Amino acid sequence: MASGTATNADPDQQTVRSNSVEQFYFPRPGQSLPGIPPFFGPPSSSLYLANDNEAKVGNQLEPNPSQSTDWDPQAIVSNLTFLEQKIKQVKDVVQSMSNRENQVASGSCEVAAKQQLITADLTSIIIQLITTAGSLLPSMKNPLSSNPAVRQLSNTLGSPMGFGMNANQRPSVDSKTDIPDIGKASGYEELINSLNTTQDERDELIKGPNPCGGEGSEPTPMEDHDVKESDDGDHEGENLPPGSYVVLQLEKEEILAPHTHFCLICGKGFKRDANLRMHMRGHGDEYKTAAALAKPTRDSGSDHAPVTRYSCPFVGCKRNKEHKKFQPLKTILCVKNHYKRSHCDKSYTCSRCNTKKFSVIADLKTHEKHCGRDKWLCSCGTTFSRKDKLFGHVALFQGHTPALPMDDVKVSEASEQQQGSEPMNEISRSMGCFPCSSSDGISNLDMKMADDVRGYYSPMSFDPCFGALDDFTRPGFDISEDPFSFLPSGCTSNNETSRVNKGSNVPPLGLWKWTETLSDFSH
Amino acid sequence: MSQDGKPSSAGAVAGVDALSQDLLAHALAGVHDPRDRKSCRLASRAFARAEAASRRSARPLRCEALPRVLRAFPSLTSLDLSACAGLDDASLAAALSSAGGTELGVRRVSLARASGVGWRGLEAMVAACPRLEAVDLSHCVAAGDREMAALAAAAGLRELVMDKCLGVTDVGLAKVAVGCPGLDRLSVKWCREISDIGIELLAKKCPNLRSVDISYLKVSNESLRSLSTLEKLEEIALVGCMFIDDGGLRMLCAGNSLQSIDVSRCHHVTSQGLASLIDSQRFIQKINAGDSLHEIESCFLSKLSTIGETLTVLRLDGLEIFASNLQAIGDSCKNLAEIGLSKCNGVTDDGIASLVVHCGYLRTIDVTCCHLLTNDALAVIAENCRMVECLRLESCPFINEKGLERIATHCSHLKEIDLTDCRINDEALQHLASCSELEILKLGLCSSISDKGLVYIGSNCAKLVELDLYRCSAITDEGLAAVAQGCKKIRMLNLCYCTQITDAGLKHLSTLEELTNLEMRCLVRITGIGITSIAIGCTSLIELDLKRCYSVDDAGLWALSRYSQNLRQLTISYCQVTGLGLCHLLGSLRSLQDLKMVHLSWVSIEGFEMSLRAACGRLKKLKLLGGLRSVLSPELLQTLQACGCRVRWVDKPLVYKG
Repeated sequence: MASGTATNADPDQQTVRSNSVEQFYFPRPGQSLPGIPPFFGPPSSSLYLANDNEAKVGNQLEPNPSQSTDWDPQAIVSNLTFLEQKIKQVKDVVQSMSNRENQVASGSCEVAAKQQLITADLTSIIIQLITTAGSLLPSMKNPLSSNPAVRQLSNTLGSPMGFGMNANQRPSVDSKTDIPDIGKASGYEELINSLNTTQDERDELIKGPNPCGGEGSEPTPMEDHDVKESDDGDHEGENLPPGSYVVLQLEKEEILAPHTHFCLICGKGFKRDANLRMHMRGHGDEYKTAAALAKPTRDSGSDHAPVTRYSCPFVGCKRNKEHKKFQPLKTILCVKNHYKRSHCDKSYTCSRCNTKKFSVIADLKTHEKHCGRDKWLCSCGTTFSRKDKLFGHVALFQGHTPALPMDDVKVSEASEQQQGSEPMNEISRSMGCFPCSSSDGISNLDMKMADDVRGYYSPMSFDPCFGALDDFTRPGFDISEDPFSFLPSGCTSNNETSRVNKGSNVPPLGLWKWTETLSDFSH
Repeated sequence: MSQDGKPSSAGAVAGVDALSQDLLAHALAGVHDPRDRKSCRLASRAFARAEAASRRSARPLRCEALPRVLRAFPSLTSLDLSACAGLDDASLAAALSSAGGTELGVRRVSLARASGVGWRGLEAMVAACPRLEAVDLSHCVAAGDREMAALAAAAGLRELVMDKCLGVTDVGLAKVAVGCPGLDRLSVKWCREISDIGIELLAKKCPNLRSVDISYLKVSNESLRSLSTLEKLEEIALVGCMFIDDGGLRMLCAGNSLQSIDVSRCHHVTSQGLASLIDSQRFIQKINAGDSLHEIESCFLSKLSTIGETLTVLRLDGLEIFASNLQAIGDSCKNLAEIGLSKCNGVTDDGIASLVVHCGYLRTIDVTCCHLLTNDALAVIAENCRMVECLRLESCPFINEKGLERIATHCSHLKEIDLTDCRINDEALQHLASCSELEILKLGLCSSISDKGLVYIGSNCAKLVELDLYRCSAITDEGLAAVAQGCKKIRMLNLCYCTQITDAGLKHLSTLEELTNLEMRCLVRITGIGITSIAIGCTSLIELDLKRCYSVDDAGLWALSRYSQNLRQLTISYCQVTGLGLCHLLGSLRSLQDLKMVHLSWVSIEGFEMSLRAACGRLKKLKLLGGLRSVLSPELLQTLQACGCRVRWVDKPLVYKG
């Protein structure tokens, strides 16, 4: 492969590449986040490489191909033992901290540094936990492709550490060697094939002088368009029987062209309606009449026209007509928005927060309306775009209150909370994308940012594992074992301890429950 | 116990010393008048100790005294800081922390109009008083969400009044609602930023609410839907809620605990809405529908009979009410204790007669501005309502001494009567004087009243507390002498525009030790000498209005600054004072919080500047000429603002004479 492609200069080239990589990353309509790897070994190792302290541990925990096919209880036990030790260490540190806090007034930078350390440790623990639990996966008796929950799990597991797979965002040096050979499962087979085919290309990209480093270090913006996805024409209730409508598939170039007028027969797009009318003459004599060439009068003959639905040209996408569970898009606008959101780069960056990126300019404009000043913040750190959503959230959870806008005047608890949250946010960013899939069932919560995972799986369906997991990325959200009882946010001094305890109690098997929850939502 | 007590002059006092502190405290509990208590304290140290140990409430007037008060009265439960001059965050926090580290037992704190107190002070207060149950923050116009967040730390809070805390939004309310789930009484009157969303959350988080005041809020029926989920709701005030209509009242129908509803000035509430509410809420005791219903309809009147047993207060101010309506009310509501018909068109003698015939328990009758009423109405009231205590007859021009004679002879319990603008004469006062229980007497604009009438009043109305002689221009010093002689309990006295009064009259008034409010606008004959005698004699004086007393000069101010240490509110507009006097006044009066000084043409800019600098930590309200805004130093104005002082600028030309 030419080195020119490595620098990612050629957009077409990139599209081709992402085509082949991503087609398996979108097995269901709701999952629009980029780059969900189907397994966990390589990504986790890449993540550990990023963290020097944990690199050794990560390698140690890496499931080697033979282990992943046959479940090795020994390895699991050793992993768990290691986790126990690790947790105990962290616990000691936290306890010493809390003791000291009782003596001395809190708020020194030393405390902040320690907090940062603890958060990092906890994060690594969680990742190891997931890795350990994940190594159980391939031992499932059922074929993976027929078990949506398992597929879902693999996706969700992969995603928190999904940099390696996330379209060259992180150097995943040893990913090639670590790909487990689990070709028995048909779903995986395809995937791995595709991975192998793209591997060279990706390696090339990585070896390039500047492998899109800036992009990789940025938090992956993938949340806003999830909310938007619903107007991609996700007509759940429509259920047109296959064959009752004409499927039209526009070419990629047509979709991305700045056209606004599209031929209803062949889908070709035009900038001007007059040109479209001229084009229509080619489709038959009926379009050559003066009436047809004149300016269109609405509703003429629209009732007898066949029902037309559209297909996404991206092979593997659920919106593509080749897909087993093909769900057509209703209008050309839907096609355009869907294609841009799902299969194109997000080239529009919010100038205000410099964080969020969008591929559809309308999304950017919507976001900019809410970005920044009118954020409604809860004491748990969750932000909302609207006051009533925040108040609904506050009403639901005990002890949560709307947070006052952070001024420099508020010294006591607020600053403490903020101190704690800074490293946390960093981590949550570096961990990248949590499994944010479709907007189904959560649109009423109207969450934002990467930390919206919480609201995403509506609080009611949290299981302890998810709660604890989330707890690391979301400071101040004091979740306890019972997902419905939240501590009041005032007691920041105890938070750290309680978090550690919670973390240690998380059963790895909780992941399974979480997965079910997830798959419930994606239907 | 008596060993540290100084040997007393009287043997009786030594006996007091021998008694136990509990007994003394018990005895003191029977002494209500603060002056009498002071006498007890002064008489014996044992009493002083007993009171210190047993005293439950305090109302310090200066913030310097606050630490001492907290130390001296360890069992204090109620603290009123509304009159505490110069109170700010630092002084409040310092005073509370100086209480010796022990937890204060204070349960109720009033910080009404304590504009200098912000969230830091409140935070310190909440931390120092763990048993806090009731807080009054009304009219702290600068208070906002941050203050509420500080208050929300008081988890045991049950009562909160935050009227006119203009900065409070839904977020602040949510803070309180989440932090204080046990809240049972809340008033958010005038907090215009609070919306349906906040009220909804409040109803969800504070299920024990019994009394809610959401007057003048921009809330809709949705708020009432939320509030209707409160099972214990007894009292609700919706004054001036423009977006609430009958639909909202219908939502309130759920449950039957409601006892009091105030929908006055809700212009979209009609009789039907109230009727449907009455239909389901069978135990309503108080209805205030003043200025809301456009007309009173039969559906409402017929439903009244269902709550006839419980209804005691009915106010229908400003409505068109005919005799038949009043008869229907009288027929249904036999237990009415208060009826409000102020400014009701169409109220006649017949209507009043048909009402009061059935309502023998009426104690308060408000027929202000019912122009058609005559002596016959008074006669029938006197005949049927022997218990009546309060009669408001302002602007009933056909009433005269004959009607009042009937009232005076039959209604011996009469405590309050408002005869403003009723053309009554000295003879009427002669009759009224037989009501020895009379406490409030308003005779404003009754220009035919003379000293003779006041002599009658002075001779028998010893319990009089408030006397309004506004524009009774025939009154002279002799009348005042008679009143001051006979009515020693007078606290509020209005003498505005009684232009014949001179310094001699004020000399008589100076014997009124309890006088707190004295208005003397436009008494052109009084001078500094009169003011001096008032200042020396009336030591309790809190409010003094000397507007347009053109002859009052610096001598008066000197006396005020020397003697009137309790003075809180002062108007000296148009007085002939100089910068020197003003400086001295503002420098010395440690309780002064509200000062109106417009058109002091003898005071130089430096005079204003200096005097305001002397007092800027204590002032809360200031009325000044608009022209001064540009000439006073910006630092001064900023300091004033920082201390919680609001300046009202009057746009009138600036005139110098000095």
